[in-house]
Amino acid sequence: MAANQSNHASGTGQAMRKSRRAAGMIGAAALFLLAAGCHKKHVHAASMGAPPVSTIPVGPVPGSPHNSWPMPANPYQGNAMALMQGRQLFVQFNCSGCHGGHGGGGMGPSLRRRYFRYGHSSAHIYSSISEGRGLGMPAWGTKVPQNDIWKLVLYIKSLRTPQEPDPPRMPKQPLIAPAK
Amino acid sequence: MGPNLRKFHGLQAMAHQPQTDAARKVLLPGGLLQFVPRLMVGVGLAAISLLSQQSRQGVMPAPGQLSTIHLVSPVPNGNWTLPAGDYANTRYSPLNQINTKDVSHLRVIATFSDGIPHGQEGQPLVVHNTLYMVTPFPNNLIALDLTKPGFPLKWIYQPHPNRQAVARACCDTVNRGASYSHGLVVYCTLDDHVVAVNANTGKLAWSTRVGNIYRGETITMAPLVVHGIVIAGDSGGEFGVHGKITALALKTGKVLWRAFSTGSDKQVRIGQNFHAYYAKDQGKNLGKTSWPADAWKIGGGTVWGWISYDPELNLIFYGTGNPSPWDQQMRPGSNHWTCSIFARNPETGYAKWAYQMVPHDAWDYDEIMENIAIDMRWHGRMRKLLLHPARNGFMFVMDRRNGQVLSAQKFVSSVNWASAYNLKTGRPVVNTLKVAPQGKFAQGICPSSTGGKEFVPSAFSPVTGYLYIPAHNTCMNRKESEASYIAGTPYLGSSTAMYPGPGGYQGELIAWDVRHARPVWSIKDKLLPVYSGVLATGGNLVFYGTLEGWFRAVNARTGQVLWQFKTGSGIIGDPITFLGPHGKQYVAIYSGIGGWMGAVAQPSFSTDDPYAGLGAAGAMTAIKKISEPGDTLYIFAL
Repeated sequence: MAANQSNHASGTGQAMRKSRRAAGMIGAAALFLLAAGCHKKHVHAASMGAPPVSTIPVGPVPGSPHNSWPMPANPYQGNAMALMQGRQLFVQFNCSGCHGGHGGGGMGPSLRRRYFRYGHSSAHIYSSISEGRGLGMPAWGTKVPQNDIWKLVLYIKSLRTPQEPDPPRMPKQPLIAPAK
Repeated sequence: MGPNLRKFHGLQAMAHQPQTDAARKVLLPGGLLQFVPRLMVGVGLAAISLLSQQSRQGVMPAPGQLSTIHLVSPVPNGNWTLPAGDYANTRYSPLNQINTKDVSHLRVIATFSDGIPHGQEGQPLVVHNTLYMVTPFPNNLIALDLTKPGFPLKWIYQPHPNRQAVARACCDTVNRGASYSHGLVVYCTLDDHVVAVNANTGKLAWSTRVGNIYRGETITMAPLVVHGIVIAGDSGGEFGVHGKITALALKTGKVLWRAFSTGSDKQVRIGQNFHAYYAKDQGKNLGKTSWPADAWKIGGGTVWGWISYDPELNLIFYGTGNPSPWDQQMRPGSNHWTCSIFARNPETGYAKWAYQMVPHDAWDYDEIMENIAIDMRWHGRMRKLLLHPARNGFMFVMDRRNGQVLSAQKFVSSVNWASAYNLKTGRPVVNTLKVAPQGKFAQGICPSSTGGKEFVPSAFSPVTGYLYIPAHNTCMNRKESEASYIAGTPYLGSSTAMYPGPGGYQGELIAWDVRHARPVWSIKDKLLPVYSGVLATGGNLVFYGTLEGWFRAVNARTGQVLWQFKTGSGIIGDPITFLGPHGKQYVAIYSGIGGWMGAVAQPSFSTDDPYAGLGAAGAMTAIKKISEPGDTLYIFAL
C-alpha cells in the first residue's frame, strides 16, 4: 500500500515536471493577454489548464495514526528568482486584491498566519489554488499553469520569513497640518 | 422628570398620530393579548396589520420641530418600517419617554445572538409587535415576538445563499437591512437575490435574482419600497461590475426597470425630462463618452448605500460608488456617473437630475452616503434641501429639485484632496499632489478611501436643526498599478495603506448646524473611527455606538454623554427606537464588529500587512486588542 502511494505521488511529480515547459509557454501567453487589459471573454477563452485532479488529501487518511500520504514537494524550493516571480504573480492574478497587498487578508483570509483551513504544506496550498475552495476561492488550475501555481506557493510559504520578497512596511506618515 | 410626566410625554407623542377607535383599543395596556385572538379567528391577520399600522404610523410634523423646518415624510412614532425609519432618511423619532432626564436608568431588556462572527451593519425593523433582523451572510431573517417576555424567537427564514458569494464581498459579508410594506419584509441577499418574506408566517413570497456573483456582483444594501415598487442596488465596485439599481414589483417580484450608473443615456435612463444643473454634467451619453472605449462596461458605480424618497416631488435620491478600477490612470475622463447623486422617478426610473460629486475619482470616494430630504429656511427662504455628508469629507447642502449645490463645507478638518468646491461649476478644486500615479506613492491623502465618513448614516433632528454625523479622521498613502480584469476577482490596480489622521483622534461624532454650516459639538474617539449609525429622538437624545462596543446616549444640544453601556463587540449597526405592545419605548442596536474597517478585528486579518483589507488594516491595528467579532441584538428600556 505504501509503495503504491509512493509510486502514485512520484508519477504525479514527473507529470508535473514534464508539463512545466509547455505550461510555462501557455502561461506567458496568458499573462500577456491579462496585461493587455483584455476583457472577460478573452480571459475565458484563455483557459489552458487541465481540469484539476486532486491527489492531495485535505482530510486525514483513514487507517493510519499518522497522515502518511506523501506530499509532492515544490519543484522551485530554494529558487530565489521563482520567489520574486511568485510575488509578481500574486499581484498580477489579483490574489492581492482578496488576500491583502502582502497576504494579510481581506475578502479572502490572511496567508501570513500559520493557520490554514485547508492545510499549510506546499502541496495543500497548491491544491487550494488549483482546485478552489468552498467560500469562493476560484479554481485557478483552469487558468494558471502549474509552474506558476508552484511559484505562488513558494511566495505564500515565504510570508513572515526572512526570505519574504518585498515585505510590507508601515506607511510613511507625512506631517499633515490640519486645514485652517 | 417623574414617572407621571414621562407618561404624559408618551401620550403627547401619540396624540399626533391618526388613530381609529379600534386602533386605540389595541394600544391599551393588556388590550392586545385579549384582542388579537378574536381578530385572528374573525377578521384575519390582514385586519391586525391594518389596525396596528394605523396606530403606530409616523407623524408629521414632529412635536417641537423648528418653525423654519418642514418634514417631507412622517417620522417613525412606534413602528420602524423602513431602513432609516422614514422616507426622507432623517433617522429621527419623536418618541420621548426616554429623555435627557431619565436616560440614566436605561437597562438591557433582551438580547439575541445570531451566532455569526461577521459585521452586523444596518438596523432591525419593528412592525406589529414583531422585530425583524437580517443577519450578515447567510442573510437569515429572524422574527422576534415583542409581546412575550424576553422577546423570544417567532420564526427564522433561511434563504441559503450561494457560499461562493462570500469571497466576492469586498468589505465583510454584511447586510444593511430590510424594508416593510404591505405584509412583506423585503431584503437582499449577498448572492444577488431580492426576497420578499411574509411578515406573519416567515414564508417566502418571491425571490428574484438581479445580479451574478461570478461577475463579482453582490448586494449588501437595504432596499426601499415606494408605491409598491422595490428599489434595490448592488455592490462590487472593487470587481469591475456594471453598477445599477433594479426596480421590482412588490406583489410579484417582477423586474420593472433597471438603471445603470454608466453607459448610454438609454442604459442610465436619462430621457427627455432630465436636466443637470451644472454644465459639466450636461451632454449626451456622458456615461459612455467620459470613459476610454468600453471601460464603462466594467466601470463600477455601484449603489450600495441608502435610498431616500420625497413623496411631494415623487423622486428617489441615491448616490453611486467608485469607478473601477481604482487605478485612475487606466480610465482617463470624468467617468460619469460614478461618485454621483441621482434623482429619479420611482415609477419610470427616469432621472430628473444628476450631479457628479467627484469627477474622475482617484481615491475610492463612493458617494453612496445617505441623502436626507428636508425643507428648511436657507438664506432667507424655504428651500427643498438634500443633505449629503460626503465620503470625500465635505458636507453638501443641495437643492433637491434640481441638484444645485448650495454649500459644501469640510466637516473633517484634515481633508486635503480638494481645498474647496466651486459652487458655480460644481467642481472640486483638486490638489493634484494627492492624485496617485502609477508606480509612485502619493502620501498623506486625507481622507482615506474609507472616507470622512463611511456608509454609516447620520441623523437629522428637526427640533435642533443639527445633523449628527459619524465621522472618520483617517489618511492614506496610495500607489497605482495596471490592473488585470479577471471576471469575479478584484479589479483594483492600487496599493493603499491607511493610518489615523492628524490631531490625535480617528473618530468623531459631530453635531453639525446645517443652517450655519458649522460644527456645534463633537465627541472624539482617540483610537478608532466612528462606524455606527446615529438615531436622534424627541427625548433630546442622540444614540450611537463605538467600535470598542460602547452604546451611548448623548444630549442632542450639548454633546454630553448621559448614559453608556458596553456591548459584547464593536458597534457598526444603526440604532432604532420603537414602542412595545404596551406603549413602552425601547431602543435597539446591533453589536458585532466587521465591515470594511472593523473586519480587521476578525481572525482572518493580519495587521502586520497595512495593505490588508484594501488598506484598512494600517489604520486599525489597535482593534485586535479591543474587540472580537460576534453579533448580538441589544434592546434597552427604562
